[in-house]
Amino acid sequence: MKRTLLIARREFMAYVRTVGFWLSLLSLPLFGLLGGVIPLLVKSSEPMREVVLVEEGPQATGLAKAVQDVMAADAERRAQRAADAAEKAQTSAGGAVDSKAARDAVASLTKERVRIVPAPPALASATPGPARDAVVRRLLGEDTPKDQRLDAIVFLTRQDGKPGARVWTAKASDATVEDFVKDSLRSANRRQVFQDAGIDPAIVVATDRFKADVKAFSPRSASGGAVSMRDRLPGIVGFGAAFLLWSLVITGASILLNSVMEEKANKILEVLLSSASATEILAGKVLGVAMLTLTVLIVWSGLGAFGLLSAKPEIAADVAAVLLHNGLIFYFLAYMVGGYLMYAVLFAAIGAFCETPRDAQALMGPIMMVLVVPLLVLQMALQTPDAPVVRILSWIPFFTPFLMSARVPSDPPMIEIVGTLAGMAITALAMVWLAGRAFRAGALSDVKLSWKTFGSAIRGGGN
Amino acid sequence: MTAALTLDGVGKRYGDFQAVRDLSFEVGKGQICGFLGPNGAGKTSTLRMILGLQPATTGRIEILGADNGRKVRDRIGFLPEERGLYKKMTPVDAIAFFGSLKGVPTAEGRRRAKELLDAQGLGASKAKKMKELSKGMAQKVQLIASIVHKPEFVILDEPFSGLDPVNQQGLEAMIRGLAADGATVLFSTHVMQHAERLCDKVVLLARGRKAFEGTVTEARATSRRFLELEGDIAADAVSRLPGVTGVEIVSEGDGARVLRAAMAAGAGGQEALKAAFLTGLDVRRFELREPTLHDAFIGLTGDHPDQDQSVSKPVEAAR
Repeated sequence: MKRTLLIARREFMAYVRTVGFWLSLLSLPLFGLLGGVIPLLVKSSEPMREVVLVEEGPQATGLAKAVQDVMAADAERRAQRAADAAEKAQTSAGGAVDSKAARDAVASLTKERVRIVPAPPALASATPGPARDAVVRRLLGEDTPKDQRLDAIVFLTRQDGKPGARVWTAKASDATVEDFVKDSLRSANRRQVFQDAGIDPAIVVATDRFKADVKAFSPRSASGGAVSMRDRLPGIVGFGAAFLLWSLVITGASILLNSVMEEKANKILEVLLSSASATEILAGKVLGVAMLTLTVLIVWSGLGAFGLLSAKPEIAADVAAVLLHNGLIFYFLAYMVGGYLMYAVLFAAIGAFCETPRDAQALMGPIMMVLVVPLLVLQMALQTPDAPVVRILSWIPFFTPFLMSARVPSDPPMIEIVGTLAGMAITALAMVWLAGRAFRAGALSDVKLSWKTFGSAIRGGGN
Repeated sequence: MTAALTLDGVGKRYGDFQAVRDLSFEVGKGQICGFLGPNGAGKTSTLRMILGLQPATTGRIEILGADNGRKVRDRIGFLPEERGLYKKMTPVDAIAFFGSLKGVPTAEGRRRAKELLDAQGLGASKAKKMKELSKGMAQKVQLIASIVHKPEFVILDEPFSGLDPVNQQGLEAMIRGLAADGATVLFSTHVMQHAERLCDKVVLLARGRKAFEGTVTEARATSRRFLELEGDIAADAVSRLPGVTGVEIVSEGDGARVLRAAMAAGAGGQEALKAAFLTGLDVRRFELREPTLHDAFIGLTGDHPDQDQSVSKPVEAAR
């Protein structure tokens, strides 16, 4: 036992001391943070485009005003959304947030990207044709001083009663103004059509703003009636747990495979075998990497809990309630132990036969294909946890940890929980035994790895 | 002398391949024993059986009073044939880790590691990573790792392979030091010169069978002395010299040839030299040579020690 712990400690410390471990540890929270912040930063730092609207001929009269009206309505909607968001933030933080600062912050992220400016005299006075085109090119060109340069010039037209536009932009790749004009003219046209049909514009605006008040109810909801976020949370938590488990199993098993391969290639396994039994070495390595993945899990969970408690304490409380409901967290732990054991010992046994990743390919390909199956079914398990295919696949021990982690929050029949847990536990123990035999055989062997040699190692490994 | 190791009728079979056959020998406590044979002769298989890493198919092994090396693994030090240590560990950490597996507390292991590294002139490399050390240095570190727990029995599998002459001498000194401290040393090699310089006893192995067990002197005595002559001499003239039992031409050219003449047991060189002058043989060089262990090996086994006798073996489990 002492040797097992010594080997586990070395395995743990060997990885903890590497830069790669800390990068992996921090990558998820860092990417999460960057994934959320960067788009906001990009949006908030987006430049304001100065645009001139020019109505082409008497048929286009009124189109510029219509576009400006649409812009004004958009601005009003954005202001309202910012105010709503600021109010929510203030409520969540218990009044600790300055509502004006919050409103300004949200508004800065949803600010308008286009500003209509008056046409410069040179453009306003230019005669349509090549002369005006030259003025347009000059006003958009880089030779024009920045304070006089325009970002876009829009010529509004109306043909057969339908509004249209020719959009000149300073940058050929920037479609912002083009999209803005398209949306504005579509709205303007819509209003005009309704108005022509004798419908009051105020009614159109009110109809656009209508949001149906739909509430979901279920006898299985937490309140016994209305369905809330709290009722959907177990499914999300289960899905998250399954995905996290899958990631940790893949990571842990891969670390083990590489670690054993390195020891095999460097002839360290033989030295270890003269100091400890094959079982002690295998157990020590599996335990060491388990400690490593557990460290990652604890850090990620801790950071996630801290972030959730800070931003949404009520959801954090709900998540805690879900995890503790019916001992869900213990099921997750059981599935994690079973899943990790099954795959970790298998990967370690394969590693004992290999000195390079190429040597391992013969067996790793099919195993990775097996591991992809639960990932494909997880989405279905989230939406329909009791779908026949999900229920059947849950009984296959190699899929059980992932699929049952996703299903167990939806309270599947107890027979399925107990049955799949028992199947997984028996398979995990069998895997430990079989992989132990293969590991013992592989450690001193120099034969090329194949299903045949792996099979004969398992059959004869107990000598 | 009390035996530290006894092998009695030991055999090892891998599938259809018989790697070791009916092998019996003893190593006394405190002895340095050379386990000699070409590659593939069964040396590594035997050493693994002694360590308890692999079971013997037949026979009995007793080491330090135990019937299985695994039971006394903390009292044994082992240096495998192909060597390696954790590349990213420092020598001190690596030595202390392997010492801890043998029951040496980590702090004590680190202290001993520093002491032994200093003694081997590796003090300046204590804090370097293993991958930064030269092959000779790394080999010394690994040997230190295998003896840091002060084992009573040290097994070294081809310890000299890959070392330059300077490091080979250093390693020989280390092995002598281990024996001087009371440890029993069993090392395998296919280079006979090391065994000649170091061993109290040698066991010769060829094609899985023991060919000889005894001292280096006894091994040499199994082979005859020979004369080496150079000059414009006919082979049949040399064969007529007193005490000569056979002649072979070693090299020939420019009116001179080198001949090697085997001598009868107990025959001296003086009579042959005297007869050569009396018969007017054109002898430019005359040398009486004692047989080496290399000669003894060839004489005893009919094989050359550098000949590879390896056969690929089926999968076999460690224990």
